[in-house]
Amino acid sequence: MPWSSFLIIFACCAVSMYICRVLPAFAFAGKELPASLVKALNYIPVAAFAALVANDLVSVEAFATGLWPALLPFAAAIPVIIVALKTKSLALCIIVGVACYALLLLI
Amino acid sequence: MKQAFAASLPIILGYIVLGIPCGVLCQKAGMDFWMVVAMSMLFYSGAGQYMIPNMWLAGVPLPSLITSVILINTRQLLYGSALSPFCNKVSKGKAVAMAGGVTDESFGVNLAKFQSGEWKVSQAGLVNGFSQSSWAIANMAGFIIGGVFSFDTAIASFAMTSIFLCLLMMQRKRVDHFIAGACAAIGVIACKMIGLAGPAILIGALIGVAAGLIAGRRYKDEDTETEEAADALV
Repeated sequence: MPWSSFLIIFACCAVSMYICRVLPAFAFAGKELPASLVKALNYIPVAAFAALVANDLVSVEAFATGLWPALLPFAAAIPVIIVALKTKSLALCIIVGVACYALLLLI
Repeated sequence: MKQAFAASLPIILGYIVLGIPCGVLCQKAGMDFWMVVAMSMLFYSGAGQYMIPNMWLAGVPLPSLITSVILINTRQLLYGSALSPFCNKVSKGKAVAMAGGVTDESFGVNLAKFQSGEWKVSQAGLVNGFSQSSWAIANMAGFIIGGVFSFDTAIASFAMTSIFLCLLMMQRKRVDHFIAGACAAIGVIACKMIGLAGPAILIGALIGVAAGLIAGRRYKDEDTETEEAADALV
């Protein structure tokens, strides 16, 4: 990758990322927020993590190659959900998730 | 400091698993070492740092590559917003400094800590710092060994999926939260099906928040309760 292309990509991505990260802190931090806004903010974690999980598990392209490649992430997700509910341990979830995913790929 | 490090450990584990293949990928895409260092220090985005070399290798033109990454970045707006109620006792500079290092994973860990009480903005900043250090080191290590090894990035990225699943399971389990999560997931899938993969997470999450607000109207949170009581008095 030539450094000129890299610098264009890097500058655009890094600046936009920084703005997205700190803009809400500039707007909201240090203020007493209205209750209606706080209520909406309370739904962000569950909505964001559900969105991230759905984004990772569902692949539109995988369905084109067959049912099993599309279902594999869901199969690997089941043990992770069980471990998450039982232990609430992020580290255990990573280990179980990656191990199950790798094992299922071998099948 | 100790507590912040302990809270960061699962993120560090995940970032090592994911960061090494990312460095390998950057090496394969013909990047220089300084590019990898610059990205992990100043851009610091797992999804973004995978997309850039992948799309570069696929020959995607620069404008669409950049637009795709910017769209993926936009979900960070949600994290800063959700963390801001916990930053009302510190200076704006401190809040901005902490918010500048937030990722999907450190957001989840810090939010859980803030909600359980006794978590400081400075400790949240430390979690971000530990996480970013591990990410940067893993990226550099991956780049260095890139010429020798190749990894299955699908397996590595399931480490992040596992983190997101665990963080999702740790959320409150009230009906309106279920509805918010389900609608967010449906929103993401719908976006991907119509070709809006870039902003899918942000759009899906916003749909989820809206659905949660509608479903949660009958629930009164502590804040709204006192406000309504005040209204009734008037």
